[in-house]
Amino acid sequence: MHPEITRIQTMLEAQGYVADQSLATSVYLAIQLRKPLLIEGAAGVGKTEVAKVMARALDTDLIRLQCYEGLDATTSLYEWNYQRQLLHIRLQEKSDLPLEVREREIFSEPFLLKRPLLAAITHDKAPVLLVDEADRADEEWEAFLLEVLSDWQVTIPEIGTIKAKHVPYVVLTSNRTRELGDALRRRCLYLWIDYPAFEKELSIVRRKVPAINERLAEQIAAFMQFVRKTKLDKTPGIAETLDWSAALIALHRDHLDEDAIAQTLGVLFKQRDDAERVRTQWLDHLLGSVRSLDREPRPWTQDAIDRVAGRASPRP
Amino acid sequence: MSAAARRFSDLTSHVVAFCRRLRLHGLPVGPREAADALRGLSAVDVGDRRECYLALRTVLTSRKDDLPAFDRVFEEFWNPPQPEGDHGPQTPKPLDGAGDGSQPPPALMEWLDEALQTQGEESMPAYSPVEALTQKDFSAFTAEELNEVTRLVIAIARRVATRLSRRTRSAQRSARVDLRRTIRHSLRRGGEIIDLAYRRRKIQKTRVVLLADVSGSMDLYSRFLIQFIYALQHALGQVETLVFSTSLTRITEAMSEDDLRQALDEVARRVPDWSGGTKIGASLRTFLDRYGAALLTPRTVVIVISDGWDTGDIEILEAAMADLRRRIGRVIWLNPLLGSPGYEPICQGMRAALPYVDVFASAHNLESLRQLEKHLAVRRR
Repeated sequence: MHPEITRIQTMLEAQGYVADQSLATSVYLAIQLRKPLLIEGAAGVGKTEVAKVMARALDTDLIRLQCYEGLDATTSLYEWNYQRQLLHIRLQEKSDLPLEVREREIFSEPFLLKRPLLAAITHDKAPVLLVDEADRADEEWEAFLLEVLSDWQVTIPEIGTIKAKHVPYVVLTSNRTRELGDALRRRCLYLWIDYPAFEKELSIVRRKVPAINERLAEQIAAFMQFVRKTKLDKTPGIAETLDWSAALIALHRDHLDEDAIAQTLGVLFKQRDDAERVRTQWLDHLLGSVRSLDREPRPWTQDAIDRVAGRASPRP
Repeated sequence: MSAAARRFSDLTSHVVAFCRRLRLHGLPVGPREAADALRGLSAVDVGDRRECYLALRTVLTSRKDDLPAFDRVFEEFWNPPQPEGDHGPQTPKPLDGAGDGSQPPPALMEWLDEALQTQGEESMPAYSPVEALTQKDFSAFTAEELNEVTRLVIAIARRVATRLSRRTRSAQRSARVDLRRTIRHSLRRGGEIIDLAYRRRKIQKTRVVLLADVSGSMDLYSRFLIQFIYALQHALGQVETLVFSTSLTRITEAMSEDDLRQALDEVARRVPDWSGGTKIGASLRTFLDRYGAALLTPRTVVIVISDGWDTGDIEILEAAMADLRRRIGRVIWLNPLLGSPGYEPICQGMRAALPYVDVFASAHNLESLRQLEKHLAVRRR
C-alpha cells in the first residue's frame, strides 16, 4: 500500500475507523487530485469525522459550513458587521471627510464578517472546508456552491473580487434527503460509507468505551447488526451504539437482557415509532438471535451473524 | 519506447477502454473523469489490485447507485470470468423475503407482481392508446392495460411534483428589516436611521402530507394510487406518507426505497391491516396527536385519499377534520367514487368531512390525477 495511504489509515484508526482502506484511499486521492470529496451514507456512520482526519493529516484548519434549508449565498459567504458600522458612523459624525470616503471606509475589510466560504478562500494556509449535509441546502445554493468550487473567487459588490489565496481541500457530506445535482457530483470524488461490519463495530466499541467488559461489547455489536437488518425509520448508527454502550454501563449492566434493553431503548432509537416497533415486535427476535449466536464458536464474525440472521427470518 | 513508457501507454488505453465500458453501463464518465482516473492511478500503487479498485471507484462513480454497475464492470474488465467459476451479476432477491407464514396481504402482493413486470420495459409502443385510457375508471382496466397505466401514473405524478415544487411568492406583509440597505441609506443622513429597508422573507417550499385509505373498499383504487404516491414522493422530496384502514402507519421511509418493488414489499410488511375496515376519524386523530406538531404548518397541504366510508364514530371524524383544517394551508380530499355517474357524497363520513375540505376532487382515472396539478398550489389565508 502507498505509504501516505497507510499514514492516513493510521490516523483514521485513531478516530475509530478501524482499518478502513477505502476511506483512506479516497481521502488520499482528494488531497492528491485536489478535487472535492463527496461522502454519502446514512446518518451516524461518521462522515463528518473524515474531514477532521483530513485536516489533521494535512496539519491545517478545518472550516465547517453546516447547511440547512434556506441557506443563501450571503450567509455562507460574508455579512457586514452592522453594529460596528453604526458605531463608526457615530464616531465620524463630526468629521469633514466627504461622504464617499466615509462610505468606503465602513464597507471595507475590517467591517466584513467572513462566513465559512470566504474564510476558506482567504485562509493563510489551504484549509479543509467541510460542507456538511449539503443535501439540506436547496438547488439555488447548490448552483452557487458549484460556481465557487469552479472559480475559487467571489465578488463582493462593495469591495470587488476576491481570489482564493490557496484552494481549500473540500469535503461534502450528504444524507441523501435530496439528490444532489449531477453537475456537482461530477465535480467531486465519491465515497459511500456503509454501516460498519460486526468486527469493525466491536473494535470501535472497545476503543471508545474502554470501561466495557468483553461480553457486553460483543453482545452490543452483534445486537446492532441484527437491529440494522430490521427495517426502521431511523436505523441507529455508530453514535447510537456508543451512547447505548455508555448508558448500559452507567446502569451497571454486564450483559444484554430484556430488562436492560427496555430501560435504555430511548438511547438507541430516537423515534418513538421505532422504539415502539422494536419493543413490541422485534425484541424477542433480536435477543433470540444474540442468544443463538452465543452457541457459535468465538470470536464471532460477520459471517456467523449473517448465518444466524438467515436462519431466523426477521419477521415480526 | 522504453518498457516503462510502454507499460504506461498500455495502462492509458486500458483505462480509456474501461471508462468507455462504464459509460455503456450508464455511468456519467467523460474525458475529464478518464483523465482523473489516470491521475488517480499514477498516485497509487498500480501493483496493488485493491488499491487500484478503490482509486478508480472513488474517481469514476458519483452516486451509490453507480456502485453495483461499477463493481460488475470492474470484475469483467480487469478479471475476465473463468468459464467454470462465473458467478454472474447478483440475482435479484426473491420477491417474497419471508420464510415463515406471515405473508403480506394478497391484494398488495398480486399487484407487486404486476408492478415488477412493468419494470424494465422502456420502449414505448408506436401506438399508445393513451386517450382511451385517461378517461377509463381504474377499476375497469384489463390486465393488458395495466402496464401502460402504471407508466402514465408515474409520469403524471412527476408533472404534479414539478408543479408543486415551484415556489409561490409569499404575500405576507411583514418582512424582515434589511440592515445592510438600512445602514446604507442612513449614511445620507449622518447615520440617523429614518427609513427601514425591508427584505422579503425567503420563500419556502410547500410540504405535502398524504393520508391514504387502504381499507378493503378502496382496493380497486389503492393499487394505482400507491404508485402515484410513490412517484410523487420520489419526485418531490418533502412528502410524508401515511396509510390507514383501522389504524395509522407511517410509510414515508418504506416508500423511499430506491426500487419500487422493494418499497412495496416494505410497505406490505409494515402495514398490518391492509384491506381491512375503515376508521378514518380515529386514524386522523392519531395522525394529529402523533405527527401534528412536527408536520403541520400553514404551508402544509394535506391530501386525503379515501372513499369516506367510516365505520367508526362520525363525531371523532368531524372533530379531527376541524382540527386539521385549523392547522394547515389546504385540505384536499380525493375520492375515487366521485367519478361514478350520479355519485353523491351522502355516506355519513364524507358528509361530516366535507365542510372542512378545500378541494374535493376525484381520483378514479388518469385524467383526474392530471387535474390534480391545478389544485395543489397553496393560497395563504
